[in-house]
Amino acid sequence: MKEETSGVVAGVPEYFMRDGVMNRRTFIKGVGFITVASAVGFGATGGQALASKGEAPAGEGETTVHAVCTVNCTSRCHLQGTVRDGKLIRVEPGDMPGRPGYANACLRSMSYIQRVQDENERVMYPMRRTGERGSGEFERISWDEAIDEIAAKLNDVISRDPKAASFYSFTGDLGKMSWEASTRYAACIGATTWDIEGIMGDHGASMGMTMVFGTHRGAHDSRDYMNSNLLLVWGRNVADTHTSELRDYVAARKNGCKVIVIDPRQCSTAAMADEWIPINPQTDPALALGMMNWIIQHDLHAKDKLVEESVAPYLIREDDGTYLRMQDGHVVASTGGIVNAGGEIGTAPAAEGEAGEGAGTYVLWDELTNAAVAAPDAAAIKSGAVQPALSGTFTVDGVECRTAFDHLVDSCSEYTIERTAEITGIPAETVERLAREYIEAQPAGIRMGQGMQRVYHSYSPFRTVATLAMVAGYIGVLGGGASHAGGTATNKPVAGYTGSVYNYDDWSNTGKKANLISSSLIYQAAVDHDPVPVEFLWIANSNFINMSPNSNYIINTVLPAIDYIVTVDPWWTWTAKYSDMVLPATTYWEHWDLIDRSPWAMFNQPSIAPLGESKSDTEIMTLLAKKTGVGQYWDKTDEEWIRQFVGTEHPAWENLDWDRDVVGQGIYGRDDGIFDSAIVYENGEGYKTDTGKFEFYTESMLEFDDEVPTWKPPCEDPREGELAEKYPLVFIQYHDRLNVHTQHILNPALTLVQDEPLLQINPVDAEARGIAHGDVVHVFNDRGEMKIRAFLTEGIIPGTVATQSGWTPDYFIEGCYQNLTHLTLCDAEEAYSMTNAAFYDVLVEIEKA
Amino acid sequence: MSDKPRYGMVIDTRHCVGCQTCTVSCKISNEVPGNAQWNHMESLDGDVLYQSTGTFPATTLAFRPMLCNHCEDPACAHNCPTGAMHKDEETGVVLVDQGVCIGCGYCEWTCPYGAPSMDDVNHVMSKCTFCIDRVKEGIEPFCVASCPANARIFGDLNDPESEVSKLLRANHGQQYKPEAGTSPNVYYI
Repeated sequence: MKEETSGVVAGVPEYFMRDGVMNRRTFIKGVGFITVASAVGFGATGGQALASKGEAPAGEGETTVHAVCTVNCTSRCHLQGTVRDGKLIRVEPGDMPGRPGYANACLRSMSYIQRVQDENERVMYPMRRTGERGSGEFERISWDEAIDEIAAKLNDVISRDPKAASFYSFTGDLGKMSWEASTRYAACIGATTWDIEGIMGDHGASMGMTMVFGTHRGAHDSRDYMNSNLLLVWGRNVADTHTSELRDYVAARKNGCKVIVIDPRQCSTAAMADEWIPINPQTDPALALGMMNWIIQHDLHAKDKLVEESVAPYLIREDDGTYLRMQDGHVVASTGGIVNAGGEIGTAPAAEGEAGEGAGTYVLWDELTNAAVAAPDAAAIKSGAVQPALSGTFTVDGVECRTAFDHLVDSCSEYTIERTAEITGIPAETVERLAREYIEAQPAGIRMGQGMQRVYHSYSPFRTVATLAMVAGYIGVLGGGASHAGGTATNKPVAGYTGSVYNYDDWSNTGKKANLISSSLIYQAAVDHDPVPVEFLWIANSNFINMSPNSNYIINTVLPAIDYIVTVDPWWTWTAKYSDMVLPATTYWEHWDLIDRSPWAMFNQPSIAPLGESKSDTEIMTLLAKKTGVGQYWDKTDEEWIRQFVGTEHPAWENLDWDRDVVGQGIYGRDDGIFDSAIVYENGEGYKTDTGKFEFYTESMLEFDDEVPTWKPPCEDPREGELAEKYPLVFIQYHDRLNVHTQHILNPALTLVQDEPLLQINPVDAEARGIAHGDVVHVFNDRGEMKIRAFLTEGIIPGTVATQSGWTPDYFIEGCYQNLTHLTLCDAEEAYSMTNAAFYDVLVEIEKA
Repeated sequence: MSDKPRYGMVIDTRHCVGCQTCTVSCKISNEVPGNAQWNHMESLDGDVLYQSTGTFPATTLAFRPMLCNHCEDPACAHNCPTGAMHKDEETGVVLVDQGVCIGCGYCEWTCPYGAPSMDDVNHVMSKCTFCIDRVKEGIEPFCVASCPANARIFGDLNDPESEVSKLLRANHGQQYKPEAGTSPNVYYI
């Protein structure tokens, strides 16, 4: 939609004005803003294009408002709303300055306003439990009564041990203030908070990425696939889960890029792809290893890239498997790298690794001098100053070594085409063709999704698939990559930014610090008081029971072990009903907030009056702070906080006009923002691993025989054993068009699409059990059960059944899918950082109900 | 080229993912009352929506988004006893005058596409308008603007240079159920 207009500075943000035509606002240094009308006028007689995705003018009696959707699909779309008579009546895609054609709003965000404004769905007032937990019996009380009671409980716990008070904030609202308010409060009083990625089931991706890249996330802008000849969408149902990216996949495909979806299900994304490759759940690393093996066996691997940018030529000691390290020309003991990250690779960006720490002590074999040398950076190798050996056995200072690449080759070599086919359920000829197409595409991109990592040993899928991309030479090249990210945050704010764009000084000043614990340990904390007791639990932004594994165990064992539970939520959730106090929270249409993770600053503000007596999380923590002796840290209104955050002298805000941009548009394209497509790890730069290279050899995993990518069978293995005999079907859940998590259940307009959860099952598995399409089936294992209608489809791999995640028990005929899942600690993951809930590593049996 | 526009839509089923953002966008944004709905979704090549067609693993998953075809020769208008259902002279879109409609439902029965949808709140027929008020303002219909796959293209079929015309020429877009003889203005690729 770019309109060429004279006098416009290239690359500056474009704005679409609300007069029905598309305009461009630009900034010319020393002059200020000018508005250049670039007519895309349209008359009723036709002949000219319509204003595509342009925001429409508000009608009579209507007001246009804006918000950023802060639910956790991470797309973080900018929304345009229409308010009439104080009610939101409509939601449309909101324009994205600087990125025409990126405006997006999904069916969930559009229909969400129905649920937001439904008094029967909302928690309207502070409510105190009167019946048994779970009975749903509550009485309305005043805010003063509620805060006084909570403060009394809390002050008692704090006086004995502040760590026994827990503040658990999940992802129901990812606005900075909503998300952080309760954990910020916890820091003020020195209470416990929880590193949420583990129990969420997203942490396997972060571990896998951190192992090889040194950071949890990293992605090519989805526009980069215009440069690709092949795109593997691997375990990622982008069409439902990151709809804002889908347009770019479609554009890439129109541009000639072949799109292949690898998924146990023929998911929505497969509908726009060239090919769907069905794969057994939990076996993605095996496929990647098989492809790597084929590529290496055919001598098609990217040898230059591997020696320049990865640890492939690094020498590994034969005696203990650690990296060989040298200082001053002598081999020294390898202990540094063994010390693991110790839970520090949490969700906070600050926890990312330091690039190249100790990088100078690693060693490779230089074929020019036939000697061991300290491993140089990629640029030095590219210049030809050294010529690292990719393979070989060498003796250095009396220590026998082999290259890391040889270890990888060993690991891959087990995965012949035939064995890969057997494990993955993909025909051998398809595995071979996929490997060939991938290496021949030059370049091929991979977009990884969290669908493949809700398994035991969950770090393996992302780590192994990314390693495949490195072996093929596609990391850091246009049209390539092994990307993990989604939504507007994929756009980088500014390359190399280090200054204080935002002023978070006051927000970060909490006096004390929170006691951050892995969320994988929260059940044992409650039950065994290890590593901390949980006497008081504050749940914010979370339908904890519905979104955590093994809900029966939570209800019967975990929650009864906790003395006092407060839930802050806009909705009457399953979790709220098991709480002692429920406080009404506002939604993103009702409070001030900020999304800062992109070149855009996006703002929420009260576009409608808060329903009932609901308050923002920040307002609620401010009330509590005043009663618990930390009121000095909570001295601003929500709006004052936001004004302070963006009120810096940083050039990012040079042209920010509060009324025009924050209030009027709800979005600001930073003056220093990068809006063009970007990729990561170009020229071998940017790896934040200890070696400063792509690190597929992970020293800290030695004790788990997992130092190089491998495939390990699932925790509940359908292939063999007693459990497999009793419960032969793999049960997975997926995020579909209706739900991000639980907060869109069941927006009235979504009933047009689907009005109950369904169990997808292949007719082969259904017929073997006498089950017909539409039958009610009983799904069970040792942990629990559900009754649900069967949806027969050929679009799921036999041996696997699937239901949509996010449905609440109200919509199941009996039970809930979360009764069937489990939280089983994984030693390797606990050692590396924390266990990732293996939601898709579950066996069940099914019978006609 | 005719002086008057002939508005039409081309839906590229190769890229439709069945998300039904169109369905919901239309329902919400047009404030379609009660149980009425102006868009709906069907399987392109099978009987049951969201069921894959074929036998595993040789299956397809494809969709046909449905809306009023704004036919040149609309069966609904021909069968309307009151003249409420009509083809708008100025714009050519098929509209229902709800002040005249008696809610008899003949239009819904006779439409090959099941497009008219009873407004069960006001007990009159309702239907897709091609968002003609928006179009007059120079803005695309809601379903087009909201489609995350850019699978819906709207424009003037009388203009050989419009995107819809070009797409049709390049891709052999086809009408659905042309045998019904209504000359629909919605095409599928």
